[in-house]
Amino acid sequence: MAVIETKNLTYTYPGGTKPSINSVSIKVEKGEFVLITGPSGCGKTTLCRCFNGLIPHFYQGELKGEITVADMDTATHETHAMAKSVGLVFQNPENQLFALSIEKDVAFGLENLGMPREEMRERVDWALKLTDIYDLRERSPHEVSGGQQQRVAIAAVLAMQPEIIVLDEPTSFLDPLSAEKIFEVIHELNKKLGITVVLVEHRLDLTAKYADHIIIMDEGKVCFDGNPREILSTEETRLIGVGIPKATLLYHILQKEGVKLGDVTPLSSEELAKLLQEAFETK
Amino acid sequence: MSVFDGLKFRRVYSPIHNLDPRIKFVYVCAVFVVAIIFSEILPLIALFLMPIPFVLLAGVQKEWLRSLRGAAFLAGFIFIVNIASNFFTSGYVLTAGAVETSAAMTLRFVVLVESFSVFFLTTSPDHLGLALEQTRVPYEFAFAFTTAVRFVPVLAEEAQTIMDAQKARGLELEKGGFLKRIRNYVPVLIPLIVSAIRRSLELAEAMESRAWGATKKRTNLYALKLHRGDFALLAITIGVLVVAIYVRLYVPVPAISQFL
Repeated sequence: MAVIETKNLTYTYPGGTKPSINSVSIKVEKGEFVLITGPSGCGKTTLCRCFNGLIPHFYQGELKGEITVADMDTATHETHAMAKSVGLVFQNPENQLFALSIEKDVAFGLENLGMPREEMRERVDWALKLTDIYDLRERSPHEVSGGQQQRVAIAAVLAMQPEIIVLDEPTSFLDPLSAEKIFEVIHELNKKLGITVVLVEHRLDLTAKYADHIIIMDEGKVCFDGNPREILSTEETRLIGVGIPKATLLYHILQKEGVKLGDVTPLSSEELAKLLQEAFETK
Repeated sequence: MSVFDGLKFRRVYSPIHNLDPRIKFVYVCAVFVVAIIFSEILPLIALFLMPIPFVLLAGVQKEWLRSLRGAAFLAGFIFIVNIASNFFTSGYVLTAGAVETSAAMTLRFVVLVESFSVFFLTTSPDHLGLALEQTRVPYEFAFAFTTAVRFVPVLAEEAQTIMDAQKARGLELEKGGFLKRIRNYVPVLIPLIVSAIRRSLELAEAMESRAWGATKKRTNLYALKLHRGDFALLAITIGVLVVAIYVRLYVPVPAISQFL
């Protein structure tokens, strides 16, 4: 069952001369881990804004085509109605936290929904523990590191128990180690809680291994859509400017040089290492 | 960055910090009223000494003394003006009574400053926002208040970054006369304002995405509840008011100069 489905979605920002996304038709299945990537300015962020109704409710402009998210038409459902089903995590962690303590921030969405205090307390603690920031709950968002701030933002979205979490380049302000931790948290949410994850990201080295489904965009259009192992093997993806995982690149170079390493394209160094080990052992 | 340090709020626990901000505010207002209805020095000295146990309990002596020092200049000014006007209107003689009244006026001002400073030193902005919310101030205002407090250090940091960047391009902030120096800050202010506007847009987007405005009846993670300490403070407040009004109406307050 598709939780996100768009048909010929086209959107132009007010005052824009050409559409930022152009006839995008994609389908995201329930429980999937979807990776959206592509060069800067290709319309990834715009697409994210369509998922929870920021477009067309917060941004004016011209939206054409159809989009249903969690059985709701975003054209008729306001963003706050979508918020219960779709959580959106933004790029800059600093600008999505507004309260003076972390737990208050995590509670923000639930407060807006008018949830009773006891239930809210439970949900907040649950979300804080899942993202491993329970000990920081009374600190101010200003006092913690960028990685921790981003985890607060994820917890805040998680507390609302959405079906879908959309993350728009959540690690672009973070160092590689914090980024890796964030990806692990996201992966756990997907595996353990079955939340559908839509992750917009450039760092494929760290994320490709988690993806069930990859969508590559360029100039507002979807160029490739499907299995990451197949798509990341094509020459065209590399030419668009997608950062193919180095393990995948190496695998193809070795393949070209006549080294047989099995048929499954590796997406991470661990997978490649395993293939190499197997190759050595069979020799 | 020392200017902004004072605005950074640190979570502290003390019996005074934990008091309900609403009751604390009522107490401060009561002190205010009492300070206004007395112009004799003895009750004002009593009022001046009253916040000291609170300050000690809260452990904010250093900050409190700093705020008093800040008020010292204005206090001195008030004293001199009072003395001078008395001196000139009473035929160029300086009486002990005149000095006492002037000191009382000054002390009245100091009492106002010190009790408000105790209030703001021991009340977290978080608590203050909560109090605003629970006294039925529209949530938008309370939210604007806490968000403003939250973003003070962020904007301060950003201002510093912009200043560094502009200095690196050859902007000399400390050059020229007074007006020139103010003009020097324009290249810092413009990017700061632009980025603040952009930031506010992103904030609005994030708020929308977290169900801002979903219901009219918003709930709150925290609730302000009155504890024993709050009732004690309320009792003190009422006591002070009752005694003050009784004394004002029925007891003549002596001046120190009468004993001399």
